[in-house]
Amino acid sequence: MSPTVRIACDARRGAFELELEADLGAPATGVFGRSGAGKSTLLHALAGLLPASRLRLEVDGELLVDSAAGRLPRAHERRVGLVFQDHRLFPHLSVAANLRYGAARGGSGPRLEEVVELLELSPLLTRRPADCSGGERQRVALGRALLGAPRLLLLDEPLASLDRGLKRQILPFLRRVREASGIPLLIVSHDLGDLLALTDEVLLLEGGRAAGCGSVAQLAAEAETLELLHDCGLVFALGGAVAERDADGLTWVRLDGPRPQRLACGDCDAPAGTRVEVQLRPEDIVLTRERLPVRTSLSNELLGRIERITHSPARVLVAIDAGLDVPVLAEVTERAVRRLGLEPGAEVVALCKAQAVRTRRLEP
Amino acid sequence: MLGLQPAELEALWLSVQVSTWATLLAALPAVALGWLLARREFPGRLLVEAVVYLPLVVTPVVVGYVLLLLVGRQGLLAPLLDSLGLELAFDFKGAVLAAAVIALPLIVRSARTAIELVDPRLEEAAAVLGAGPWRRLATVTLPLAAPGLVAGLVLGFARSLGEFGATITLAGSIAGETRTLPLAIHNATQIPGGEGAALRLTLLSIALSLAALAASELFLRRLRRKAADTA
Repeated sequence: MSPTVRIACDARRGAFELELEADLGAPATGVFGRSGAGKSTLLHALAGLLPASRLRLEVDGELLVDSAAGRLPRAHERRVGLVFQDHRLFPHLSVAANLRYGAARGGSGPRLEEVVELLELSPLLTRRPADCSGGERQRVALGRALLGAPRLLLLDEPLASLDRGLKRQILPFLRRVREASGIPLLIVSHDLGDLLALTDEVLLLEGGRAAGCGSVAQLAAEAETLELLHDCGLVFALGGAVAERDADGLTWVRLDGPRPQRLACGDCDAPAGTRVEVQLRPEDIVLTRERLPVRTSLSNELLGRIERITHSPARVLVAIDAGLDVPVLAEVTERAVRRLGLEPGAEVVALCKAQAVRTRRLEP
Repeated sequence: MLGLQPAELEALWLSVQVSTWATLLAALPAVALGWLLARREFPGRLLVEAVVYLPLVVTPVVVGYVLLLLVGRQGLLAPLLDSLGLELAFDFKGAVLAAAVIALPLIVRSARTAIELVDPRLEEAAAVLGAGPWRRLATVTLPLAAPGLVAGLVLGFARSLGEFGATITLAGSIAGETRTLPLAIHNATQIPGGEGAALRLTLLSIALSLAALAASELFLRRLRRKAADTA
């Protein structure tokens, strides 16, 4: 698939310098990196809220900004939407008036009724933002941005201000926006888990530069980007659907892939059939060469074959093809690699506790 | 009414007229200056601030005299005013101008504070939604600052009601033309047997000013409530 969003951006904020080029091919791309890496600077420069010394932005073949050719529309002429972390609804206007605010620009945007339905906003329309809950405000802000008919939609930490429960509520709506709008999304988060539930690809920033761009498995396969991901809290995500809830209260998820396997999750209470994303930290995965001969308290074992081993100075990351859509990642020591004779092609068993599994509902 | 003489009623009505016109005249430049000082950094900002706020600290007689030097019959701007057919000195319009210049800094201060209280990030949000600078001003900044702006205008109106020094210097004390309440009180104290009129006019002035201040306070409370809602 050819890239849909091409970005070249040089901007300064105080002493910080952003110098970035990236071609993004996914419908939704996560922007990830430690704090101060330039995530927010990039979003503000793209939206036109921060002056850029050089900016070129192409979306689906349409050149929105090209400073070199003198095409540098101001924020209100740019058609780049931005949903702020603090939602920034207009306090003096009703929810309906907030939604309509961006629609005045006209053009090819969605209709108000469509957005109201998509984000389930109809009970809120006559309310003031002050009378809405945090999650409701975030939904209104999303709807308002969509109605502005942007060619590219930027989301700045859309989940950061929400507690765990609210996050769970808003995530499915963000997924809906992704599916229904057809607008390329660029989502900033400091939480890789949040990003994986929303995006297909991650643009990894470090020190104002693009350190890499791709799936977590791709980024984790390079020693340099592996280190960065690890510093920011590396997780990987497996898609699936809830299969059953057993008598012990454990929820079993059937993971997507050519050779589906089941995983027990300690924190999931979704009914059978619900689409979920299962997230694991590579350091929570234990590898053995054979199935354990003794009983343990471990609930999960995934059988697979080693795809790749990445060595960085600080750690070893093993990518395992377990017959799923994405590889299972396990962090081990050099000693373990030697003792177990881990090498590409070797058969392994990946073990983890049900309590180490984090699930996110992708449907309301 | 209250045993007021026709001349006293005339002074009251004249005061209300002068103050209303003065407030209207000062409103637009005051809000524009308030916005400029609240939102923009520019060279010469300190100078603008000093000139705008000067009437607050200098005696109104000086303001009136400077105005006389500018717009008086022999003033610097006299040729321009002549060509426009305007005569300000010793005229109703002069009384309006004097009151407007004195009220201006008070309105600027209120407008500036009110606009500073509006979160500029809301203006950013409006820009990203496609609103240009004028639409942002009309739909976000001014509506959110409105209670403070109105409070400033009420304050300016109240100050205009009390204007004396600049008015008498520029516009004189012409009955029915420029003799507003304060001038009428001063006049009454100068003539024998005028004590009763002076007292009635004084009570009237106090009542009018209190009403204006109460209105201003009411609007300020609304602004604070709104700010609390936002936070």
